[in-house]
Amino acid sequence: MPVIEYAGLEVELDDKGFLANFDDWNEKVACAIAEREGVPELTKERMEVINFMRQYYKQYNAFPILRAVCKNVHQPRDCVTEEFIDPLKAWKIAGLPNPEVVATESVDEAKKLYRLLVPD
Amino acid sequence: MAKGTPKPDELSRIDYTPPQKEWMDTPVKLKPGMYCWGAKAKNLQAVGFPNARDWTPADEDWKLPENWEWTVLEGIYDRLKKYRSFQLFLDICVRCGACADKCHFYIGSGDPKNMPVLRAELLRSVYRRHFTFGGKLLGRIAGARKLTLDVLKEWWYYFFQCTECRRCSVFCPYGIDQAEITMMGRELLNLLGLNIDWIQGPVANCYKKGNHLGLEPHTIMSNIEFMLDDIESITGIRIEPSFNRKGAEILFVTPSGDLFADPGTYTCMGYLMLFHELGLDYTWSTYASEGGNFGFFTTNEMAKRLNAKIYAEAKRLGVKWILGGECGHMWRVVHQYMDTWNGPADFLEEPVSPITGTKFENAKTTKMVHIAEFTADLIRHGKLNLDPSRNDHLKVTFHDSCNTSRGMGIFEEPRYIIKNVCNNFYEMPENTIREKTFCCGSGSGLNAGENMELRMRGGLPRANAVKYVHEKYGVNMLANICAIDRAALSTLMDYWVPGVGVTGVHELVANALVMKGEKKRTTNLRGEPLPGVEEEEEEGKEEKEEQGG
Repeated sequence: MPVIEYAGLEVELDDKGFLANFDDWNEKVACAIAEREGVPELTKERMEVINFMRQYYKQYNAFPILRAVCKNVHQPRDCVTEEFIDPLKAWKIAGLPNPEVVATESVDEAKKLYRLLVPD
Repeated sequence: MAKGTPKPDELSRIDYTPPQKEWMDTPVKLKPGMYCWGAKAKNLQAVGFPNARDWTPADEDWKLPENWEWTVLEGIYDRLKKYRSFQLFLDICVRCGACADKCHFYIGSGDPKNMPVLRAELLRSVYRRHFTFGGKLLGRIAGARKLTLDVLKEWWYYFFQCTECRRCSVFCPYGIDQAEITMMGRELLNLLGLNIDWIQGPVANCYKKGNHLGLEPHTIMSNIEFMLDDIESITGIRIEPSFNRKGAEILFVTPSGDLFADPGTYTCMGYLMLFHELGLDYTWSTYASEGGNFGFFTTNEMAKRLNAKIYAEAKRLGVKWILGGECGHMWRVVHQYMDTWNGPADFLEEPVSPITGTKFENAKTTKMVHIAEFTADLIRHGKLNLDPSRNDHLKVTFHDSCNTSRGMGIFEEPRYIIKNVCNNFYEMPENTIREKTFCCGSGSGLNAGENMELRMRGGLPRANAVKYVHEKYGVNMLANICAIDRAALSTLMDYWVPGVGVTGVHELVANALVMKGEKKRTTNLRGEPLPGVEEEEEEGKEEKEEQGG
């Protein structure tokens, strides 16, 4: 299992880059994972998304409907893909375990794809 | 999109030149992007499948059990005895090649082993060698070959490059159902723990929690609650559906994808709004919370086990009949297997629409009605107040899902619905729709992220037909009645035909549905302004400004 270092902090991840222990999470850990995932800065908007995902996961043990995330944090309907491009990155930064075959693929894959492939 | 997936212009340059050597001498090469990850130990264990261990297809060592050859040969023997169709399909093919260029994977990849005839030959050659006199005697001259590790790997690679769509069988002069060959091939691989995790994960989830996504009861309710909030803000109407309610007339079962991912959630909102408007006496179930059946892509037995909960729940709740949502393979299972697997459902009644009194005689044995039939019947009897102009910004075409079209003959109902709720409908070319429809390229459990190249190749013929109507008529919306389509086609359209969206039919219905007591709608279910509303608002603003100025 990889261990990453960030500002004197050691964070243990699983082999796909998800936080190994749910309870290890704090905002510094979030920053560490964000850096690894190439998310430049954890702005207020991004932190709202992440905090909501954590809270939702605790209660429902599931990946939330993305529109529901945005509605709950009072941001535009596409906020998760706008802020993170890949919703799974937000999930990782929130310190949640690998959702594996949850249909993340279909979750607004469209925009992600379009940005990753078509522009160049 | 998985890293390394070629760009559309690169991927569309397909090389149809066959390899120099004969197919038996062309060893299989597992190309990343064309296959899925192997099934994980824990997901195999969850349902008691053999040889549960973590393994990687790219590795040399697949961690097979000792004597695996014997296990497979015994498996073939058992299935030959059990399924006459299997024996027949292995014996009667004359290799005429009528199916060869009908497969979307062959068209999109140019790989001859994706010709249905040759894909079947991968298995048929082993059958000949070990089970026929001629093959034993003449060996390769009779097209026979031994079962080796390379052959096994070839099976695995190509049986997970078939979506069991059955387009090839439409063109086969003998009516050979290649999907059944693939199904048998996958069953045999399953004896060695060689499934893919995109299938095995949902199977384990469904077995443990009742649905592929592993949504627990309170999560299902919370997701639906969220949709109800959205419906209320759009229509002003608060809907209060019931869950697990005993004594309801109808049990409603839909694929769990509709509860989670866009654009399926909009289709789900469509169901909720339609049923509310009808005042239908129905209930959702958090137990039978999955219409789809990924077990169908492992073994016949597993599919039967996962399917059992639908009748069990119908019995427990004491409903009269079952209504099913928009899904593809769910309906192949329901229509062709359910009543003999887990029936007879003699505790249910022959379905009758409580609104129109129509008897659904086609569902006499299964007691389960497809929602497209149900809604088309409502429209036919004038029971819905519809305003199709609300869909005027859409130019719609319809993608027939393989299973509902070739598996149960639903051609007219969805079209009838769409034509009544939309003013602009255009058909794709004749040889790409109805019984000749092209697969989305991601069915039968191949809707993963890691095999994106395969999916985009397999979806090319479908996308090409959409592109045709997109360019000719300006089609901007691809309607369908399948949850996997809704997930897969969104990706496919953005790759091949950007600018075309994907929708379930009941999303279109709900947008056009004028509900009793609704407020003036300004947006559709996706929160986009309805046609005409923006201009009205702007005019309103201008007027105000003029007055103010």
